[in-house]
Amino acid sequence: MTAVGIGAGRARGVLRRLGHELARNPTLTVGAVVLAIVVVVAIFAPLLAPDPTDAGNATHPLSVLQAPSSAHPFGTDELGRDLLTRVMYGGRTSLQIVVEVLAIAAAIGIPLGLIAGYFGGAVDQVIMRVTDIFLAFPALLLSLAIASVFTPSVGHMILAIAVTWWPWYTRLVRGEAASVVRRPYVESSRTLGVSHARIVARHVLPNAATPVLVQISMDAGGVLLVSAAISFLGLGAQDPTPEWGLMVSQGASYFSTQWWYATFPGIAILITAMAFNLIGDGLRERLDPKRVLSR
Amino acid sequence: MFTKSRLLAFAALLAAVAVLAGCGSKQKPPGATAPAGGGGATGANSTFTYDTYTQVMVGWDPSTSYSNEIIAMHNMYQTLTYYNSQTKRLEPVLATKWSHSADGKTWTFQLRKGVKFHTGRTMTSADVKASIMRTIKLNQGAAYIWGAVKSIDTPSSYTVVFHLKYPAPLGLISSAGYAAYVFDTKAAGPESKLTAWFNAGHDAGTGPYTVQQWSKGAETELRLKQFTGYWGGWNGTHYTRVVYQVVPTASTAAQLLTSGQVSWVEQLTPQLYKSMQGKPGITTTSAPSYQNLFAMLNTQSGPLANVKVRQALSYATDYHGMMAALQGSFVASHGIIPSGLWGYDASLDSSRTNAAKAKQLLASAGYGPGKKAINLTLTYTEGDSAEQTVAALMKSEYAPLNINLTVQALQWPTQWAKAKSTNAASRQDILLFYWWPDYADPYSWFTNLFEAQNPPVYNLAYYDNSTVNSEIGKVEEVSATSQTQAAAMYQQIERQLIADVPALFLGTQVYQRAYRSSVGGYVDNPAYPNVVFVYNLTPR
Amino acid sequence: MTRFVLKRLGLGVLVVLGVVVLTFLIARVIPGDPAVTYAGPHATPAAIAHARQVLHLDKPVIVQLLDYIKGVVEGNWGTSYRTKQPVLSNIGTALPASIELVVAGMLIAVLIGLPLGVLSARFASRAPDLGVRVVAVVGVSMPVFWLALIMQRVFSGSLHWLPAAGQYNANLYYTHPLTSYTNIPVLDALLTGNWAVLGSALSHLVLPALVVAAYPAGLIARMVRASLLDTLAESHVRMVRSLGFGERALFTRFALRPALNPVVQVVALVFAYSLANTFLVEAVFDWAGLGSYAANSLQALDTPAVMGVTLVVAVTYVVLNLIVDIVQALIDPRIRIQ
Repeated sequence: MTAVGIGAGRARGVLRRLGHELARNPTLTVGAVVLAIVVVVAIFAPLLAPDPTDAGNATHPLSVLQAPSSAHPFGTDELGRDLLTRVMYGGRTSLQIVVEVLAIAAAIGIPLGLIAGYFGGAVDQVIMRVTDIFLAFPALLLSLAIASVFTPSVGHMILAIAVTWWPWYTRLVRGEAASVVRRPYVESSRTLGVSHARIVARHVLPNAATPVLVQISMDAGGVLLVSAAISFLGLGAQDPTPEWGLMVSQGASYFSTQWWYATFPGIAILITAMAFNLIGDGLRERLDPKRVLSR
Repeated sequence: MFTKSRLLAFAALLAAVAVLAGCGSKQKPPGATAPAGGGGATGANSTFTYDTYTQVMVGWDPSTSYSNEIIAMHNMYQTLTYYNSQTKRLEPVLATKWSHSADGKTWTFQLRKGVKFHTGRTMTSADVKASIMRTIKLNQGAAYIWGAVKSIDTPSSYTVVFHLKYPAPLGLISSAGYAAYVFDTKAAGPESKLTAWFNAGHDAGTGPYTVQQWSKGAETELRLKQFTGYWGGWNGTHYTRVVYQVVPTASTAAQLLTSGQVSWVEQLTPQLYKSMQGKPGITTTSAPSYQNLFAMLNTQSGPLANVKVRQALSYATDYHGMMAALQGSFVASHGIIPSGLWGYDASLDSSRTNAAKAKQLLASAGYGPGKKAINLTLTYTEGDSAEQTVAALMKSEYAPLNINLTVQALQWPTQWAKAKSTNAASRQDILLFYWWPDYADPYSWFTNLFEAQNPPVYNLAYYDNSTVNSEIGKVEEVSATSQTQAAAMYQQIERQLIADVPALFLGTQVYQRAYRSSVGGYVDNPAYPNVVFVYNLTPR
Repeated sequence: MTRFVLKRLGLGVLVVLGVVVLTFLIARVIPGDPAVTYAGPHATPAAIAHARQVLHLDKPVIVQLLDYIKGVVEGNWGTSYRTKQPVLSNIGTALPASIELVVAGMLIAVLIGLPLGVLSARFASRAPDLGVRVVAVVGVSMPVFWLALIMQRVFSGSLHWLPAAGQYNANLYYTHPLTSYTNIPVLDALLTGNWAVLGSALSHLVLPALVVAAYPAGLIARMVRASLLDTLAESHVRMVRSLGFGERALFTRFALRPALNPVVQVVALVFAYSLANTFLVEAVFDWAGLGSYAANSLQALDTPAVMGVTLVVAVTYVVLNLIVDIVQALIDPRIRIQ
């Protein structure tokens, strides 16, 4: 499980296996290719975008709301900014949000799940009842409620979503941990006086890793959609931050006269969410076929 | 089906031609019958559907009403006089004649006879006095407009005399859009029960229409029906019902208009407005409003306390670009007083852009590119798309001059509270907001925005100039007796303000209206913002 | 059985209580000084002091919490900053329209998702399966607010097939007045036999309901497929197949019924999810329901209203969950033992 010390030969082996995997699993392949494109565009946006300053403070009052043309393939917005540029940079915002939310949620959720599952008893009861309460809210609802009491910004939105997302991992890891703990070799390790931390690190965590990975991959699309929705309602990213949900919201009032404004960022959300979901499906089929769709 | 409607349309066209030929250029005499044919719009029952984008009846009390309900109130209630923005003159409504003493401190109104309230009672001078006294006593909303009134006399049933503490243009004040309604103070029995009675959705006015149904929060919020006892009578062609429909989304409003489900749309986006132009069956008109957009500059603290920096900011502002980006929903301002209001001076130039001059002024103050950076905060009202656009443009226009603008979108109460904070350091440097007058008089802009206030209320530039203060102090009394003289004084103050730049005069909002071509006789009157006087319209 | 129901009920009550506590924490603890939030941004010191009294902020947090819970139970959910009316009565006015929308959406979702899922499982790994899976993945990846805009633009703006927004043509008021019993126009029109309004209301319902249906339809198709494939792999079905029953009989008689069990659960859960999704759909279609109310409240930072809506949707979610659990336990005794 440790990432340290993977030899070059082993790395090549992993790559070859990955290649095999992609060929056998078209869902995963399509998802991975599309996501790779989105990631590359996002990373190299400063080089690829027609006018990188349009992702920031630049405005062009004399060329507002222009239809798509060779100069502006996606048209321009109400401040004359190039929409292709802003959609490209929007990928950066969205990927940042997804990665940070999932990282925070996993960082809270996994330890709590391990504690609950490993120790059981009253600790388990308390932690699981709390997760029950959080899981009683549709994710969008609770994130919105929390986001509404903060000043709207990308950072606060990430926090609001992460706070609603961790219980899924707690519940998942707790189940895995509880089942591992009951196995004879773990019980014997315990009686031999092996430290809790060591048991968890050696036996419990590795077992939980696969389902957690699958769950994370399946959740990425959901996080993207929830964050876009929060920004659409004005509680997330704020102009001039390029964010797809916000752009759809800004473009909505021009939609019947300037179709391009809301259309392209919407397509970007759809394609990226699809890529995430395909990867999630593919990984699930491959690694954890018994897992049922939870949400 | 298809041929039938074509036939009907043809018949309507014929009828219209006949009417045109018959009437020539003359106005239709009162009592003329409706033109024949033409479907359901004419005849005994015709409905005018007003499309607005937010709740209509925020308040029901004619004394305290100070919000969006103005669009319905003026069809239920009336005022003593009416300001015609086309002629820039007052016209009689509930008062037929008025005059003032030479010192402008005593005003006498002769009332119209035979005016009936919706409650059935006949209006007399006692009712006028009771209405205005109640408004003054409650002292909410726009009640301040009666601030000059010392006492009201009713020497006869149809004569009202106002005694003032100081000269004031009471004829104009009586035409105010808010707080000048005459109503039946006995509608709910004892006056103490009146507020609750109003708020339950009742009206007690003299206007042509009265409440039929009010469904708060519903899409069709308010229905008015004709008041058969209206003093103006119902001869001729009038709409008999008025419906107020709340449609928050502009594109939906446009579609409802196109399909004929609404008659008139209060506000479209400039883009939708353009798309409505030339559509069959739809008429579009645009007219500048009395509502102008200001960037109030903090003249007391921070870099903008320096007049050179303020002047530089004005020169650095691309007014022309702003108007282009706002796509026709605003026009450039000439000073403060908008066109269509007395005192307007087209020769004032408050929107000069000159980047070189801006740089030069900044340099002389020790700022500019390569020198010390200026950091400014700007606040605007969240949700206002014009302000949002303007703020974004200002931010990017000032950046090359080494001026960093931090833009904050705040709910108006928050924005206002920040501007009024007792701690000068936590106030903003630039504040965007609109001003419009409560009656057709320039005074409201000057006294509220540019006369020294301590603590500040609306003078959010914190501007304090003794010459300007004393001129503003004098001008209202002058306007009570001589509008020409007052206009000259206002223009003098405006020139001073343009030189001193306590604010940027960014632009004046333009009303862009789209309505069914079957609505005849519509004219915008910015003195009554967004009000459609439905009785004056002719359904065709 | 009674024990199981009681235990589930107990847990449900506990969760609802937790939900109330959580909304209390969000509304009162996170924002720093809740009195300032409560009194509104331009409040005078006197108003803030008054708010402090109203909210009992001078008392210990525990007492405040108990007071809050008491208020929630007694129906005192606070006053909306925006409408200046009791939140609970606002919600009561708005809820029927949203229920109409969500029920219609769920109906469409089941009607689309179920056959698609069966089709997909029947032809697993073949062309129809691939097609259905693509559609389903598009369904669950779709930003609903964007779909709403696109549908409105295409079917109303460009093609003029359906009305753009609203609940029914308001002009019918004078020709076909509608008597309101339930505040749900479709139901009221049906009850009173007002066919003109019914037609208009149904045509207004189609677009928003389709948008609400997109996500659940994709989810149901995926669930039905997965569940059917699981069941088909189970031993009793394999045995039935070895006995020589045809594929069709296999599907309809032996596999479909047990495979629907998890689907019923998903429908119930996704109902509350869709209620939250109306926040994104109703505003686009000017649908005067809970979603529009929530979206407006969110934009106005109207905390009592936001918390009220949050509470209603979360409690709906918990209660539906509870009902599903109990009903399934009644049908399938195995669940009780788990």
